[in-house]
Formats: sequence, C-alpha cells, structure tokens
Amino acid sequence: MPHYLQSRRSASSHLLTAGVTHYSTHSFASEACSRSLAGPTYRRHPLQNDVRMELSLLNMLWSPVEEAAAFLNSLEVWEAVRPFVLWGQLMVFVCFLLVATIGRRLKLRRKYVELLDGVFNFAAFKLADDTDEEEEEDEAATSSDEEVVICPESPRAVPASHEGSFRFEDPLPYLAAGMRAVVSDCVTKSFTSAELRTWNMLSRTKRQRYLRKSPSLTVFWAVGFVLRWVFLMPVRVLLLVISLTTLIVLCAAVGLLPSSAFKRRLNKRVVMWCFDFVAGSLSIVARFHNPENRPTHGIAVANHTSPIDSMVLATDQCFDMVGQKTRGLLGLFMGALSRSSYHIWFERSESKERSKVIQVIQEHAQDPEKPPILIFPEGICLNNTAVVQFKKGAFEVDSDIYPIAIRFDLRYGDPYWYQNTFTGYVFSMMTSWAIVCDVWYLPPTRRGPNESAAAFASRVKSQIAHRGGFVQLAWDGFVKFGQQSEAWQRKRGEWRQRQQDAFARRLSSNEAEERKRE
Amino acid sequence: MGNKSSLMLQEQDIRDIQAETGFLPSQIERLYSRFTSLDKGDSGTLSREDFLRIPELAINPLGDRIVHAFFKESEDDHVNFRQFVRVLAHFRPIKKAQDNKLNAREEKLRFAFKMYDLDDDERISREELLAVLHMMVGENISDDQLNSIAERTILEADRDGDQMISFEEFCSALERTDVEQKMSIKFLK
Repeated sequence: MPHYLQSRRSASSHLLTAGVTHYSTHSFASEACSRSLAGPTYRRHPLQNDVRMELSLLNMLWSPVEEAAAFLNSLEVWEAVRPFVLWGQLMVFVCFLLVATIGRRLKLRRKYVELLDGVFNFAAFKLADDTDEEEEEDEAATSSDEEVVICPESPRAVPASHEGSFRFEDPLPYLAAGMRAVVSDCVTKSFTSAELRTWNMLSRTKRQRYLRKSPSLTVFWAVGFVLRWVFLMPVRVLLLVISLTTLIVLCAAVGLLPSSAFKRRLNKRVVMWCFDFVAGSLSIVARFHNPENRPTHGIAVANHTSPIDSMVLATDQCFDMVGQKTRGLLGLFMGALSRSSYHIWFERSESKERSKVIQVIQEHAQDPEKPPILIFPEGICLNNTAVVQFKKGAFEVDSDIYPIAIRFDLRYGDPYWYQNTFTGYVFSMMTSWAIVCDVWYLPPTRRGPNESAAAFASRVKSQIAHRGGFVQLAWDGFVKFGQQSEAWQRKRGEWRQRQQDAFARRLSSNEAEERKRE
Repeated sequence: MGNKSSLMLQEQDIRDIQAETGFLPSQIERLYSRFTSLDKGDSGTLSREDFLRIPELAINPLGDRIVHAFFKESEDDHVNFRQFVRVLAHFRPIKKAQDNKLNAREEKLRFAFKMYDLDDDERISREELLAVLHMMVGENISDDQLNSIAERTILEADRDGDQMISFEEFCSALERTDVEQKMSIKFLK
C-alpha cells in the first residue's frame, strides 16, 4: 500500500518529535522496517481506542454538561473562572519547565508517579468486586496446554494413542489449537496495545460499562479528563516545541566547532540535556538500573516498543543512531544531530547498502573514541510484553554487545503506537498521565568462538527477555504485516511443514510399534 | 468517528447471543473486540484472508479446515459476528450446572465429524479421511502407507461394513475419548 506509506511519511515530517527517527536495524527486511515507520495497519475497536473514543464518551455526558454550561454562562461564572484556568495553565507550565530542565535532580517526577499510583489502587479496589468469581471453574474443564504446540521453532505434536495407528481423535488437539488461535494468539496480542489489570482512568483502556458502575470512579475520570486535556496537554505541546527547537539550535552550534575531544564531551552533555528536556515535556520518568554496565563503546541492542525508545535511552547516555534517511523536518532534525556526532543514516532501497552499512558500523564500533551505537534488532515495534526474533545483522560485527532491556509501566501511559495516525499517537501520549519505564543495563557480551550470529542473537534475546520479564516469541517480526510480506509467504509453507513433520514422526513411531506387534 | 453502526455491540444483541450460546456478556464483549481487531477492512464481517492472517492458524496443518468450518453457515463467503460466536460456542467448556446447548458432547462430536465430512453426506469416506491425513502429515509418509493407515482406521470403526463411517460409528469410535476436555478452550472474561 504505497500511498498509505506516503501519507504517513508526510504526516510524520510535519510534526516535530525527537527520536521519531525509527532506528530499525541495518539488516533490512525491506517492507517490515519501513512499515514500522508508518505504524500499524489495523483499525481501532471499541474496547481500546484512540482519543476519538474519549470524545465520543464526552458526547454521552455532553448534554447535561451543555445545560450546566448554558446555566453557568448566564451566571457569568465562566468570566470569573477563566482567569483561574489560565493561571492554572501557567503554573503547570512553569512546573513542567522546571521538572523538565532540572527536575531529575529534585526527583519531582517520581513523586508525581507515586501520587498516581495511589489513585490507581483506589480504582482497582473499587472495581475488584465482580470480576473474579467464576474464573476458577473454567480451569479444570479446558484442554491442557502441554499438548500441541504450534510454533515456527520446535513444534510439538500430541502423543498419539497407545493402540497405534491413526485414530479419529488424533487431529482434535490441532482443531482446538486452531480455535484457540482464532480467539487469541500470542502474535496478534503482542502487536495490539497491552491489556491492563487495573483501570488507569483513561477511558481508552476500559470498557464503557465500568464507567457507569461506580459514581466515585466517574468523578475521578471526569476530573482526570479535565486535568489531562485542559492543563497537561497544551503545556506539553508548548514545551515540546520549545525543547525541540533548543535541541536543533544547540546541536547545530556544537557542530560548528572543530573536531576534538572537547567537542565530543560537549556534544555528549548537550545532547543528553536536550533529550532530557524533550523527555520532560512528555513526562517521561525513567529509572536506570545497573549503571555500571552502561555502554561506553561498541554496540548497544535493546527491545523496541515505540519511536521514543531512543529518546529515553539518550537521556542517560549519548548514543549514535542507525536509521533510514528521510526528508522533511525529520530529515532536518537528523541532519542537525549528525553535525555534532557520527550517526549512521542509510538508504534502504540501495542494494549494496547492507554490506556498506555493516562495514561502517564495524569501524564505528571498534573506534574507542566514538560513542556506542544503538540498534534495535527486532526491526519492528511491539507492545512491550514480548520480544520477537532478533535479526542477526548487528551480531555479525566483531565487537562488544551491550544488551539493554526497556520495560514500560503501562498503567501510566502506553507509548506503543497503535493509533491510526501520527497525530493521534502524539495526542494519546500527550494526554496520558506519564510514560514510566525501567531500563536495565546488562553486562556486555561477545560472540563465542564457535557461535553463529543467529545463535548469538538468540542468546542475547533471551537475556533481555529474562531481565525485562517479556514473553519470548519464536516468530519473526515480519509476521506483523501478515500476507502482504513476501517473506511470510515463503516462510509459512516451511513452518507448516515443520508441524506436519512433528505429527508424522508421532504417527510413524506408532506404526513401527504396530508392525512389531503383528 | 467511524461509519460503522456496528462499532458498538448493542445490549439486545449481547442478550440474544448469551441465550443462544451461553457465553457471559463479558466474554461476548471480549470476543467482539477480537472480531473487530481481525476485521481489517472494517466491514463488520470476516473473510478467509482475515482468518489466515493469524500466524498460528496459518501454519496449523488443519488451518484451512478450521477456517472452512466458520464459513459453512454463511452464504456469501463472509462471517458475521453471530456466526463467529456460534462456531466458537462449540468449544465452550462443559459446565455441569448450566444448560449446555451448542457445547454439549454430541454437538462437539458433530463438529468434529463435520470437519472430516467435507461433502456433507453424513458419511466419512476413505477419500475424506485420506484428505485429512494428508493435511496432517504432508509429504512425510508415502501415499501407499497413508492408504493402508486409512483403511485400517476405517476397518476398526466401521460397524455396518459399508466402508464409510456414519455419525453413530464415529461417536462410538470416540466413546472412550475425553472429548469434553480435548475440544474445549478457555474463554477469558
């Protein structure tokens, strides 16, 4: 759908956002990576929705509000209230500015998060009564999960019946597994916005009926709505614009200096402070664990959730990014960043690019003076509950690899881009409470002497999955785009063959038993 | 806002579906959410491509048969939500206290029977069994061996000697199998 891609590109270039450079890995499954730029291709649905859902909800409550507003207007209360609203916005703006620029030291962001925590616990308590009754009954009656495993790697077939030969009930577990996949499959689940266990006061994350259930919750939601849309959102937009301009200007300024060690140090400080500023405007609260493993050179790999991943990491360490060249404002931004440091931009459509880029990465990684390179080997964004197979390109390079696990706390705000449009995504982030994440730096590793790049990639993937508490999927990233990708068509036959092989093995071992008996 | 009037499931629809299938309202809402997320074209119905977009289903050896089971009832090669839920209702776990309609043991067996019986003649012929066997093993077993396996299976289950398996013979062949457990899946609330 090329036209679809075009509209996405222009949309993203019209909006300034730091870190929207979609740092896909340099080993390019062509469409898969470029589509990650374009975001998902599926629609919203009633239970998880973008900002329009909130507005539609508002419509429901609007008529009494409208009457009240008309009444208030007649009392000229609005004239009285307006200065308060404006003052409120100004105060929030100043607060945010402080928090964004120096707030890290004052730990203000963390206090805000703790306050929200209390509110969510209250909501969970209120909603807890009715949901848990019948769940235990279901456990006993359903088919056990130890039977058929339908998976690209190491599928498992059901042990066939003891009497040997093929029985009519042998395909039944596959039937059940297929139905289970229709109801809920691990892959599609990882590509939609994750489900939360408690309600976080955003109507986009909970069903409508709960909103009408408890009046105190509705009040909380309404207050939260006003807070987020009237106070938080405009301030954040303004701050974002300011911070991005600062970033571009300062980077360009640093770029004017001649190449030297001082320039590198200055670049590091400037970029980190600027990204912190941008992160503050989105209320990003990040906690970094194991700073002794912070990458200082070589290649850093991390799991990919959203366009802002790189920004979050950039607030703690200065990285050099790898990404696709783009035009427009985003290209301008990338150009500005490039002036002060050695980012690697490539053009995916050129065929010889891959080996060239790997070479550049190799040289960059082995130069101890340059900052570490940041690569996202999955090639696509997921919803932060799972990791898919890592592409082996980054692991072919001979250098230290620093794995990083990023886990977002999705109760406060979901950075995963599931909305249809880029503006929808940005607004959704701007009207969330905060974006809270934990970053774990894992100790550096190198490829073993007899280890293939693919095995090394798997090893690093399981390290990251363990640390971050992610589900490990054996699927490749391109399944996100389903049948549109040629890679999927090729692989599908191969993977289906493996399931058939597994079943045939079971069947023929039975046959051998039967024949022995005869 | 979308142009789909069916974006929101009506209360009446939920009640009807609950009466027909026995699903709880929360389960129905969740299935509806799943239905709309599979419905990429926002048309209110699912096509075969929508089903085969699910990776785990696409590589399941029985994937095509499973998809076919959904389309058996529909005339125009599209599945709406009622049909979707009705098929899934066969896989509801059997609860002792409840009145099980679509997920009773006999209904489950009938569903399994229909998976074999492609031409709907109430009999499983050797060719139909061979077709299923072929789907399950691919190229791993030679045709002769498959033939003999199929023959043996039919021989064991065939009572009246017509070389075909009727529904009664099918049921008695599966008498000792725990169909309730093998053909039930968990539906979250």
